[in-house]
Amino acid sequence: MAEVDFERRIERLFADAPAFGDAEAFAQRVERRLDRGWATRRVLIGFAGVVGGVIGASQLVLSNFATDVQAAAAGPARLLTAGVSQVASQSDWMSALTGAGNVVWLAAGLAGLAVAFVITRMIEEI
Amino acid sequence: MPGLQQIRYASLHDVELAGHAATGDRRAFGELVRRHGSAVRGLLRRMGAAPAEADDAAQDAFLAAFERITEFRGEGTFGGWVKRIAARVYLRRLQRERRLLAVLAEGAAEADPAPRGEGDAAGLIDLDEGLKGLSPAERMCVTLCYGAGVSHGEAAEALNLPLGTVKSHVKRGLEKLRARLAPGDGAALEGRRGNG
Repeated sequence: MAEVDFERRIERLFADAPAFGDAEAFAQRVERRLDRGWATRRVLIGFAGVVGGVIGASQLVLSNFATDVQAAAAGPARLLTAGVSQVASQSDWMSALTGAGNVVWLAAGLAGLAVAFVITRMIEEI
Repeated sequence: MPGLQQIRYASLHDVELAGHAATGDRRAFGELVRRHGSAVRGLLRRMGAAPAEADDAAQDAFLAAFERITEFRGEGTFGGWVKRIAARVYLRRLQRERRLLAVLAEGAAEADPAPRGEGDAAGLIDLDEGLKGLSPAERMCVTLCYGAGVSHGEAAEALNLPLGTVKSHVKRGLEKLRARLAPGDGAALEGRRGNG
């Protein structure tokens, strides 16, 4: 029993934290390091977002996105003016659009944006 | 003068603060550091770390605890949880710098005569003085088991020592402490902690 009592006493002694005069300064140092780590993480997230955005934007530009949009806008306009009876022409427009190689670039650009988003989320999780 | 937010945090329980910290609230975690920083620093010094090294390791331990705060579910005390993290951080540091084996192989320091304990208030001083009379390995094992609350088996694994060796270090360490803290009672101690 004496052994157990002594062990309890040792545990109590260990549980009593010594007082440090610079306890507040220590806590502030830890908080500063936490803030610094957080700031670094935010910069990395921002950087990844910018890189992903640039890659995505460049892919969109290289894929002649503006031309595709014009073509896409012209198609429905023609369809509207042609009337419901000319619905068949819509399938022609669609096949023309999907047949274009630029669509591949457009998809690649969107995929780049998706990858950038995923990377950003991953860094955020880390 | 503390801010309102700090006053609000001061009234919260550790588990509530940990919950706030888990959402990324660094000020809430700062309050936990204020509450438990001294205990962690003291533990590392009692394990044998020099003051500056103990403070560095304690900082690293709190940063690691913040990163893993979602793992703290309030089943034990936050203090006990962060102390175990701190002990592992310090031991990893020793291993990384290839100092652990050297530390464990060192002989006992020549202990200065220490005042005898007259109760736990005076015993607090005696504990730190008493620990100085232990070999580094004994000091490490006793502090891990009684200060950080790890079992003998966990201590053996962390120190990369056989379980029997750890138990021997603990037993001898406790006997030395008992002789210094409570003279006249020389009964051999059987380590009762740990899960074998």
